[in-house]
Amino acid sequence: MAPAEGYGYAVSRLRAMSGRLLEEAVLQRILECEDLDSALKVLGETVYSGWLMELKGSSEFDKAIEAELLHVYSEVQKFVPDDRLVQLCRLPYDFHNVKVLMKSAILVRDGGERRFDLLTRLGNISTDDLIMAMESEDYRLIPFGLHGLIPKCFALWEQTKDIFEVEKTLDSGLFTAMRKIAADCKIDSAVFWVRGKIDAENIRNLLRMKRMDMEAGTVAGFLHDGGFISREKLLSILSEPVESWPRVLSFTDAAKTFSRVQDAGDLNTLLVDMEKVLDEYIAGMVENSKYKAFAPENVISFLWRKELEAKNVRIALVSVSNDTDRSMARGLLRHAG
Amino acid sequence: MDLLGIALAILGAAMAAGWAGAGSAIGVGIAGESGAGVMTEDPGKFGLVLLLQALPGTQGIYGLLIAFFAILKVGLLGGGAEISVNVWQGLAIFFACLPIAVGGYFSAIAQGKTSAACIQMIAKRPEETGKAVILPAMVETYAVLSLLMSIILLNGISL
Repeated sequence: MAPAEGYGYAVSRLRAMSGRLLEEAVLQRILECEDLDSALKVLGETVYSGWLMELKGSSEFDKAIEAELLHVYSEVQKFVPDDRLVQLCRLPYDFHNVKVLMKSAILVRDGGERRFDLLTRLGNISTDDLIMAMESEDYRLIPFGLHGLIPKCFALWEQTKDIFEVEKTLDSGLFTAMRKIAADCKIDSAVFWVRGKIDAENIRNLLRMKRMDMEAGTVAGFLHDGGFISREKLLSILSEPVESWPRVLSFTDAAKTFSRVQDAGDLNTLLVDMEKVLDEYIAGMVENSKYKAFAPENVISFLWRKELEAKNVRIALVSVSNDTDRSMARGLLRHAG
Repeated sequence: MDLLGIALAILGAAMAAGWAGAGSAIGVGIAGESGAGVMTEDPGKFGLVLLLQALPGTQGIYGLLIAFFAILKVGLLGGGAEISVNVWQGLAIFFACLPIAVGGYFSAIAQGKTSAACIQMIAKRPEETGKAVILPAMVETYAVLSLLMSIILLNGISL
């Protein structure tokens, strides 16, 4: 089957599935609710209804969001011609699970309790397999380079006792694995998407470090290779005021993400705003797929929009649940396509 | 009867039916693949999907029509009187069949892709069905032009 036509079925099905993505009006209705039960009633009118029925209590809404996301990932994985595209999108969850299990193992060594409740089923590797590997300290069968990375991280912990060092190493491993999968797929837009994701993570980290007033030497370790903007370029702007970053980075698409810099009062507000803007920037990397009827990047685009939908639902429900300022929550909602 | 002339006429007819039919099969296949994807999620769209999937099938019918004309012309159909066809006349019939063979093949594939894209369009925007039918129908124009040219050329050949 020719590559172009190979995605005819998949893209058509994704287009039909994207018709069921939550519209903004639904999120606004959730935000207008006075309590969580009413908000879940509104959510019950959508594709989430099946999962909501399985909840023991309304405060467990996160399980429904995870279940819907898992259902979509599993379904898409069944019919896409190259399931590495789905693997690529699920990979961050594998690394999240590894972080959870490593921290849990460290806690146990210090007399604490295991925290398996923070694991997510959204990863490529089943949580049972991962737990088994961590408990038996037999990492040989763990894919995505984790078989080498986990012992390395444990050794790093023993040497430094610095959890940030461990997280940095795992994040670096995540992006290396993502770049490898994207390159193996031989789909240019998948590579662009990963590069955009690395840029977004680097910018996010840079802003956090700037807020904490860290030195360039420390910051360098938190930046990852492989984005459109080099680490050196990012480090060079660290000493400059954030307002001048868009000018220095004007040669990249990421510069437009700073359009809100002028409006943001301080770095804390800017960081919150940037979380949303950077998510939309990542979605923008594969936005053109909507004009291509047989393009594989439609898979990534759809899955990322589903991720953003899950984030939006979570933001709206948390806002209702905690009775926080709704206008602030409205401002945090991601818009993609 | 010149056998080579008849053979060339048959070759033309075979190409008209074969290539246009092959193009239609590919086109209908591409559109069908998309249609199956949409109907997996929304079986209610069967009617619309079927209409769009059928559009690239017309080139195959046009090719068959020209093939009939060609073999009718040389008396191979209907048990008519034996008609003498020399090499030049056979060659002329062969060339007359080419527009629908070539035009039909490529236009059917292009129409299949357009139909597939339009099936995706109605999956997302069912209210745009009218426009979704017009877009692949535009490609049909060129298949019809090929058919017309083949008919005119065949009519112009005197045996």
